Amino acid sequence: MPKLAIDPITRIEGHLRLEVQVDGGKVTDAWSSSTMFRGMELVLKGRDPRDAWLFAQRI
Amino acid sequence: MNDLPNGLEYELARQGVTRRDFLKFCSAMAATLVLPTRYIEQIANALATVKRPPLVWLEFQDCAGCSEAFLRASRPSVGDLVLDTLSVNYHETIMAPAGKAATKSLEDTVKEGGYLVVVEGSIPTKENGIYCTIGGRTALDIATEVCKKAAATITVGACAFYGGWPSAVPNPTGAVGVKDAVPGITLINLPGCPPNPVNITATVVHYLTFGSLPATDQFGRPLFAYGQRIHDNCERRAHYDAGEFVEEWGDEHHRAGWCLYKMGCKGPATFHNCPTVRYNEGTSWPIGAGHGCVGCSEIGFWDTMSPFYRRLPNVPYLGVEADADKVGAVIAGGVAGAFALHGIASAIRARKQPIARHETDGVTAEGKEGS
Repeated sequence: MPKLAIDPITRIEGHLRLEVQVDGGKVTDAWSSSTMFRGMELVLKGRDPRDAWLFAQRI
Repeated sequence: MNDLPNGLEYELARQGVTRRDFLKFCSAMAATLVLPTRYIEQIANALATVKRPPLVWLEFQDCAGCSEAFLRASRPSVGDLVLDTLSVNYHETIMAPAGKAATKSLEDTVKEGGYLVVVEGSIPTKENGIYCTIGGRTALDIATEVCKKAAATITVGACAFYGGWPSAVPNPTGAVGVKDAVPGITLINLPGCPPNPVNITATVVHYLTFGSLPATDQFGRPLFAYGQRIHDNCERRAHYDAGEFVEEWGDEHHRAGWCLYKMGCKGPATFHNCPTVRYNEGTSWPIGAGHGCVGCSEIGFWDTMSPFYRRLPNVPYLGVEADADKVGAVIAGGVAGAFALHGIASAIRARKQPIARHETDGVTAEGKEGS
């Protein structure tokens, strides 16, 4: 049976892809992937800690 | 093309908006766009009769904060209704279809042409753009196709403008704004973090009324919204001129609403209409709420304006005895100097990590904070 992909998942904040394995009309396995990466932890490294909230609230 | 079978006024009336409210909205738009009052009627006529182009809203490396700012008006305004009547064919955060059905809405709109595209979020370029994919395509691929075929592209927010915080040092994913990812398109930038929904609405109203995008500065930002410096329209400016500064958070001068320059306010180096337009139906804005401006409408502000609580270097303080012309002349020079210094600081930072941030200025206010 086919593996279905639903991408983009809408009505959420962010980017998400779902893949599901369907056998005999039943989902037997599923995978989710977040399809966007920015690297906030890397950007925050070494900055003035008082600035952290400004970055972190924009996750 | 989508049009209203019964006209805009009918739709507005159906939703309880009177002709008077509609005209008030049109005059507010004319004021925001810095147009003479004789244009109010032209705007009203255009909005009532013009065919509304379809609109697609693309989200890439974003936090959806710009969408939130735009969608979450504290109460439904005439502006919302005018824009509701735009046909929003694609917006991942709010649309009903998902997966292939969603992608088809976008493809159909692109095929038909003549649409506006709003872009929110930066576009990653490292590793062939794999850091953001939608429906199996990279953000770069989608933006290139959709923006090139659009009647016009409107970027909202700092990320779609120049890359935003994803592009801050060390820019892990090679994030850039639309102007760099897809050069040569018809583009207008509405930076801010988030941008003010009033400016987004006014830009669309300008397009619907005149069939063109408003005049811009060298960064593609409309002059009506980014032509004036925060510092020059700030309600606390009199305190700056009188040398009355907040020295510590929560001190009596902070409570009294004195100038936040020494606490790191970037108003003297930032161009935006926040002081006059304000946010949340004109209720308040960052400086009005007691926090300094962080400079969110300027290119590279996450690096050039930070640390955000460090005072801008070299903006000269002038006592009350200085006249207006002298203040203006010295301030203009001071801001150029501040930008040059920040540019150098940020170039140094870009070369060496971890970041050493205090190379270029030893400011007395800084010492008090023990940083």
